[in-house]
Amino acid sequence: MTDRRRAHTVNGVTGHREFVLRTVEERGVKFVRLWFIDVLGLLKSMSIPVSELESALEEGVGLDGSSLEGASRQREHDVIAHPDPRTFQVLPWRPDSLVARMFCAVRQPDGEPFGGDSRAALCRVLDQAAGLGYTMQVGCEVEFFIFAPLGPNGAVPVTLDDGAYFDLTPLDVGSDFRRRTIDYLEQMGIPVKASHHEVAPSQHEIQLAHDDALSMADAVTTFRIAVKEAAHELGAYATFMPKPLEDHPGSGMHLHISLFEGDRNAFHDAESDEPLSPTGRAFLAGVLAHACELTAVTNQWINSYRRLATGFEAPATVSWTRRGAAALVRVPSRRPGRVAGARFELRSPDPACNPYLALSLILAAGLRGIERGYELQAESIEDAADGVLLPQDLREATDLFERSELARETLGDRLVDAYVANKRRETDDERRTVTEFDRSRYLRLL
Amino acid sequence: MSDAWIYGEHGGEATSRLLAELGFSPHRVAANGTLRPVAGESRAPALAVILASGLEQPSCAELCARLAADDDLGEVPVLVALASGALAAGVGVAEGHELLVEPFSAAELQARIARARRAVNGIDHDDVVRVGSLEMNLATYQVAIDGKPVDFTYMEYELLKFLVTHPKRVFSREALLNRVWGYDYYGGARTVDVHVRRVRAKLGSEHASRIKTVRSVGYRWEGT
Repeated sequence: MTDRRRAHTVNGVTGHREFVLRTVEERGVKFVRLWFIDVLGLLKSMSIPVSELESALEEGVGLDGSSLEGASRQREHDVIAHPDPRTFQVLPWRPDSLVARMFCAVRQPDGEPFGGDSRAALCRVLDQAAGLGYTMQVGCEVEFFIFAPLGPNGAVPVTLDDGAYFDLTPLDVGSDFRRRTIDYLEQMGIPVKASHHEVAPSQHEIQLAHDDALSMADAVTTFRIAVKEAAHELGAYATFMPKPLEDHPGSGMHLHISLFEGDRNAFHDAESDEPLSPTGRAFLAGVLAHACELTAVTNQWINSYRRLATGFEAPATVSWTRRGAAALVRVPSRRPGRVAGARFELRSPDPACNPYLALSLILAAGLRGIERGYELQAESIEDAADGVLLPQDLREATDLFERSELARETLGDRLVDAYVANKRRETDDERRTVTEFDRSRYLRLL
Repeated sequence: MSDAWIYGEHGGEATSRLLAELGFSPHRVAANGTLRPVAGESRAPALAVILASGLEQPSCAELCARLAADDDLGEVPVLVALASGALAAGVGVAEGHELLVEPFSAAELQARIARARRAVNGIDHDDVVRVGSLEMNLATYQVAIDGKPVDFTYMEYELLKFLVTHPKRVFSREALLNRVWGYDYYGGARTVDVHVRRVRAKLGSEHASRIKTVRSVGYRWEGT
């Protein structure tokens, strides 16, 4: 974008602040939630009364930075959450007492970005991409389950229907729920492309229309809470757990990635009939080359690997294809006249990932592919299980992530170390746990 | 703050002061035939005032014609200020969107600005704009459909406001980015499409189709 445009802030910060303050007053908003994201992508929220809003916009609000470090918090340290007025949005649920939200940038008291803020990490990578003239567009298909209200901790969840793929029957009690969710999402400016019942009972999929990477990460975060609210209102429970039912497919979050240079889709090949341009092939080569290091972020829970382990079209190897259903990456065939549609679909991420870190690393890996001219490996034919195996469990993925120079360069040591500490703790906890599997397999045998 | 550009020398100081009083930020344009206070400025001001007394090169008529023909400035409301003695001569009387006769007060200037804006955009910026059941209050940033508030983000609101207040004209994505956003944004030119989609989603079925996509050109608001 030109310097000329950069120089003239038509709708700068003042306009946004004025809009927020005026809207709060006109709409009778009582509380504003300041949203920030911890290292695991979990949404943290701090509520302030509107009387504090003006000073929060001016000076930010202090908080303990260790709250961003997930379950393995170190010592406390002060940071300041600065609400971003561009993300001000009245929440559509609970219409009796109006509440609005703003995402925050978390900074050190001296104004420097806080190294533990994953949203800031994504902004940093997006700035780098913008410096090269690129913006990344992301579309997203999110799968999830809605169950009957949960029983005691550890109990198997109860499904609400026996609906099957694309079923549209009265049995599908979820359609009410999907309508309500979509309504909420649209009211929050998150347009939905499509929604349907997924393969497993009680499983749903909602497709979010493409957006720039930061807006999409914010949308996924907002989406998860909107879905949980809508389910709760209907007396159900929504979960983004990757693999809640052993005998059914898990929930994935397929990402549709494209790269734009201004108005032009840099993945579109005007010269040939290839589905991806040379830039697109190099970007994809970068993502594939670093796919194993990325896995700790795209699939961050022990449970994530139960989805990847059991087939049902979940990817197992570093591979790409135009036709198969189970490769890590699918490149949709070209459709005449759909220049903007040139993209690839990354199929490994699950909806419980930290979308900020996942998109940061995907973009960084792709840019590295372009900058260093990576060659794209050969296409996998049908669903042959060729290609390098993806990490088999969280421990292996964490080892690769911890050593990843790309991750450290992109996210910084603070985020990587906090992330690794969380994941080590999770795998250690699991290692100590005697499970149903242990008892059923060993109790009688041994 | 909205910019007001002033052409011509006669009474320039006084006019600047009055415009500042009304909340504008006045910029004098040098009398060397240029159209802009700063070379390369692409952003349009909220209005232009031509002080026609003693204006020779370029003439008032010439200035008005060049403003109207400029890509960025074609829709700027233009006020022409004349000395009362010049009225009889008729020079400049027919130019611009509204006429001012010197000396004028802040109150008169404000009323003339409102008339000039209405002449250009069909609405006054402090007005409430109504299109069917859609109501936009431009003073309070609030939008309602059938009296029910619809919550937009600031940029969604600004985009809708721009389209609604410039009906029936097609704007390219680039033009919308320049005039609505005016600054760098992660989404690049795709931002416009994404925001249009969001605004349509929030407007709902009755009004969403008022934002017409003009294939390979841009977008247009259909008011009626």
